[in-house]
Amino acid sequence: MSTFWNWKTAVATLALAVAVGCSGGGESTTPTNEGKTPDAGGTSAAARPTPTAPTVKAEGDTIKIGIVGSLTGDQKPWGDDSIKGAEMAVAEFNAAGGVNGKKIELLIGDSASKPDQAKSATEKLLSDGVIGIVGEVASGNTIQIASAAFEKSVPVVAVGATRTDLTDKGTHVVRVCYTDDFQGPVMAKFAYDDLGLRKVGIITDNKAPYSQGLSKSFEKTFKELGGEIVGEVFYETGQTDFTGPINEIKGKTPDGLFLSGYFPEVGPMAQAIRNSGMKDVKLLGGDGWDSPQILTSGGDAILGAFMCNHYNNKESRPIVQEFLTKYKKENGGKEPATTMAALGYDAMALILDAVKRAKSLDSVALMEALNETEGFEGVSGTINLKGRGGNPDKQALVVEIRPLAEGFQVFRKAYAPSDLVKN
Amino acid sequence: MLIGSLPVAGLDFSTLPQQLTDGLLLGFIYALIALGYTMVYGVLKLINFAHGEVFMFGAYAALFTSWALGYTPNHALGTGTPWMLGVMLLAAMTFCGLLGVLIERLAYRPLRTQPRIASLITAIGISLLLQYGGQIFLPLNQNIDSKINPFGGSLEIALSGSAKVDTVALDAEVKSASEKFDAYLKSSGEDAFNLKTDEGRSLRNAKQDAERKLRDAKSAGEGKTLVISYGKLIAMGTTIVLMIGLTYLVLFTKAGRAMRAVSHDFDAASLMGINVNTIVTFTFALGSCLAGAGAMMVATFYAGTKIDTFFGMVLGVKAFVAAVLGGIGNIPGAVLGGLLMGVTEGLVAWAGSTAYKDAVAFVVLILVLLLRPGGLLGSAKVEKV
Amino acid sequence: MNQFWLVRAGSFVLAFAFAFALDAAFGGGGYAQRLVMLAALWVTLAVSLNLINGITGQFSMGHAGFYAVGAYTAAILTTLNPALAEQNKLAWLLLMIPTGALVGAIAGFVVGVPSLRLRGDYLAIVTLGFGEIVRIVAQNINIKTPKGDVGGAYGFTLDVKLTAVWVAWMLAIAVIAICRNLLRTAHGLAFLAVREDEVAALAMGVNVTRTKVTAFVIGSAMAGAAGAILALFEGRASPDMFTMDQSFIVVTMVVLGGTGSITGSVLAALLLFYLPEKTRELSNMPISSVAGLFIGIGVAVSLARMIQQRYHGPVAQRIGLNFGAIGAGVVTMAVIGFVLQQVPAIAAQPLVAGAKLRMVVFAIVLIVLMLLRPQGVLGHHEFSWDWVRRTLFRKPAEVPA
Repeated sequence: MSTFWNWKTAVATLALAVAVGCSGGGESTTPTNEGKTPDAGGTSAAARPTPTAPTVKAEGDTIKIGIVGSLTGDQKPWGDDSIKGAEMAVAEFNAAGGVNGKKIELLIGDSASKPDQAKSATEKLLSDGVIGIVGEVASGNTIQIASAAFEKSVPVVAVGATRTDLTDKGTHVVRVCYTDDFQGPVMAKFAYDDLGLRKVGIITDNKAPYSQGLSKSFEKTFKELGGEIVGEVFYETGQTDFTGPINEIKGKTPDGLFLSGYFPEVGPMAQAIRNSGMKDVKLLGGDGWDSPQILTSGGDAILGAFMCNHYNNKESRPIVQEFLTKYKKENGGKEPATTMAALGYDAMALILDAVKRAKSLDSVALMEALNETEGFEGVSGTINLKGRGGNPDKQALVVEIRPLAEGFQVFRKAYAPSDLVKN
Repeated sequence: MLIGSLPVAGLDFSTLPQQLTDGLLLGFIYALIALGYTMVYGVLKLINFAHGEVFMFGAYAALFTSWALGYTPNHALGTGTPWMLGVMLLAAMTFCGLLGVLIERLAYRPLRTQPRIASLITAIGISLLLQYGGQIFLPLNQNIDSKINPFGGSLEIALSGSAKVDTVALDAEVKSASEKFDAYLKSSGEDAFNLKTDEGRSLRNAKQDAERKLRDAKSAGEGKTLVISYGKLIAMGTTIVLMIGLTYLVLFTKAGRAMRAVSHDFDAASLMGINVNTIVTFTFALGSCLAGAGAMMVATFYAGTKIDTFFGMVLGVKAFVAAVLGGIGNIPGAVLGGLLMGVTEGLVAWAGSTAYKDAVAFVVLILVLLLRPGGLLGSAKVEKV
Repeated sequence: MNQFWLVRAGSFVLAFAFAFALDAAFGGGGYAQRLVMLAALWVTLAVSLNLINGITGQFSMGHAGFYAVGAYTAAILTTLNPALAEQNKLAWLLLMIPTGALVGAIAGFVVGVPSLRLRGDYLAIVTLGFGEIVRIVAQNINIKTPKGDVGGAYGFTLDVKLTAVWVAWMLAIAVIAICRNLLRTAHGLAFLAVREDEVAALAMGVNVTRTKVTAFVIGSAMAGAAGAILALFEGRASPDMFTMDQSFIVVTMVVLGGTGSITGSVLAALLLFYLPEKTRELSNMPISSVAGLFIGIGVAVSLARMIQQRYHGPVAQRIGLNFGAIGAGVVTMAVIGFVLQQVPAIAAQPLVAGAKLRMVVFAIVLIVLMLLRPQGVLGHHEFSWDWVRRTLFRKPAEVPA
């Protein structure tokens, strides 16, 4: 039997291709700058590329807005909340009459808690003709949404994606949350100044990009302030036994621990920390802690810990109380399970506000309107986006965790972005 | 390129006993779940990929039982009693046993005469169905209230005596500094977290400095203690009791003998008049019961553990690895594998590479299998020609 | 030119024509392009795993690991040389594919060597472990770039985006061709011999060791090549793209298609890839309908199985009975859905979003197909022109010499 591709040929071809590949790789030391060079800095607002694709017009008698969230998979609780929040904003907007007699049609895409599925869902929404997208809770998924939306010049409002370089993807990406570069330093400064901590250990969820990023920015600022990071230990989302990392960090006798993960793991970890004998060590964390559930999973151990949050459910601003009342009414009297409900609401409300302000009902005009946002009053605070490269200059609140009877999150201190600069 | 946090030199031997103890205690849980994998494998030569999901439902059964006992998320009850834990354990075991039998009946038995790989795919299918179907109907990110566990404290064993530190002077310093600071707060009416004047800040810093000095002095003299939570000890005890029960069942009862016969030779056993279907059902029920017990204990004694529909993923895979490590199909092997896995994890954490903990577990597995292809206690059979 | 070369050249041209036709039809970007691109990658993965699992019988469950290795190779090289990649995107893509394949092949060799001593389930767990090790190492890779450290759990985001539908499909076709033609050679038959009986193969002079390692190396090289395309197409490589369930899905594709059947793997890959995408459009439904649907499917499948096992009449009657089974299922679904809807407590439940059912539908399809056709959709059969000829023209096929 004669063959065209016998296995030797196949292997030989492979080897040849590989050899070519290697020699090509070797030339990589002499990069040339012909053609379009990707910008290396990318930190300033000016460096953000602007999408060039033709604008998407809102056709038909509704305006289509999409939301991508985790309807399935391990981030479902956060995804569900962001979608609930967004749905509330849309319902309010439509009840108020929409814009130009047109109502909003909300299309929901499932990211299945995975970046590749998030991109597929986005492409699907884009092919359905949405003019704006409310992004994901996680940065890894949102960056994929952003790169798909870039090709169609459709703006993306990220819900909870705190990854700092996310908005460098293009002028079409804005967010309603603060960035890791703000939240981490806020907690570092609070720990150093107000709690007087000098030796802090970090416990990071190694599976969550959010946690890794937050730990990094905390560590950087805390060291700059003069504190010592005694060590960083790791666990993974879904792990049930935390004794390994806790014993490890206990041996280094920290006076404070920064737990940058999400509340379902932080609660049991706090209990394990107390059970391991670290009774007086102060616990600190980010907005991933925000859920009343942390009180049951953390028990007494979590009380007296400090976290960073976007807003405080006891705030007197009317929009906060209106939102909470309405949320409870629509969800059987339950408080939002995570902070993403408020952020999802804000992200959608921000898009809808921009729809009203946009010069015309199309995606590019919407994108411009979003970047012109000034003084938008959201549940999570006032959002200014004009000239800020897509990152709002929101306050961060440091709250102390107290029992539900005392109000769960008791306000301690507010930081504005300017507070960090002047040091 | 830089690969972060590889094991660093300078190992701290003082944490070793603690890490080993905690690893061993976790190992008992692994062993309990691994038994389910290994028993089913012994009888059917099938990897029951849905075992992790049975385990997950065990945690939910325990959770709902605790709710039924009044420990809902917003309860105002005091500490629970041991019988409540007993009820939860029974509920989880019963529910898991039934679920295991149901899965066997619906997904494995129809394919028993087919290639094993077909059952493997239905197992994956069942596992996905339970995970994602469960997401629609079950509450997520829940946990059993740790108050239901009456054994909340810890056993503390002193390893090295604590040096006597004279803290009288430091105590006095802290006392005076905090009194000054409190007086300042009272007089100025300021909030401790939002000080307006430099005077206030310096007083606060003075107080913090004093506190830090005291803390450092105390921790310098502190002796090393081994801390073991009572809950985990009880989990270990329960596991040992269950294992003894299982050993008795397998070695000294008729059903156990039949099980061993089926495991030895499926067809011959059926020719000898053993009702093979009953035995397979029995095996599934038994293995799933143990998974239920394990789930209840993880969810209760590892206080606050998150219960969601992926609860069985991490522990399930670990237990599976443990079963293979010990030699899949071999009951003492599963126990040995589980304990070894737990201890290995403790050692890896002690060596300071918590980031690679799970990877190292797999590396150990691969190394062991290279030396003993049939697992530690298993025998690599030469395939029949 | 003799007929032999004519056929080969013809297939080559046809393959290119097919790939370019797909490129022309879907290359414009957007959802359609994405589906066509990813379908090619899944086909590549399934066919390459089929070489290891189906044809050589080495049960591997870590294919996502090889996929990840290829993707990370491409992503890291692109991150380090962004200017070079930008210079000529297509050339860079064509360069990255063999590079990814090479690194994949090395990984395959590393995993293949332990496979010499391990059998069946032990090998399965080792390969599963390899997949996890790759993921965990990927979580800890950090690279210094002018933009700062990149990597970690967040992974790599590339500035360069390279998309070529035809390249992906040419890879898929090449992989299919390699596997198919491999089976026609003496070396290829060795792969089958190892699957069927290692001892007998050894006795017949087959170098079992080399055959197994070769299968691993070739299969993982193909997965690595697919990974490189994925990374450059997505503009991203992160650990959460290569989880354990990804490996399970590839195994499922191979088994569902029929272990060892290349055609089957291709069909199953397409089915299992498109299924969760198409179910994105499921409408919201009340909980009672969901419950009815589950039970209805259960009834239909049990009846169909009963017919399969107990009734051996003429084909037409069996088909009729099967339709009856489906009908019974539909009726059950309607009745149960209706009855449950009458219970106020159930009717008051909120609607279940259709998208939440995507994976549930996926799981049910898996179970149902496996119960009804345990040997896989195609069993050991392959698509062949002879078969087409037989079916279309009802002529007995010529047996090739």
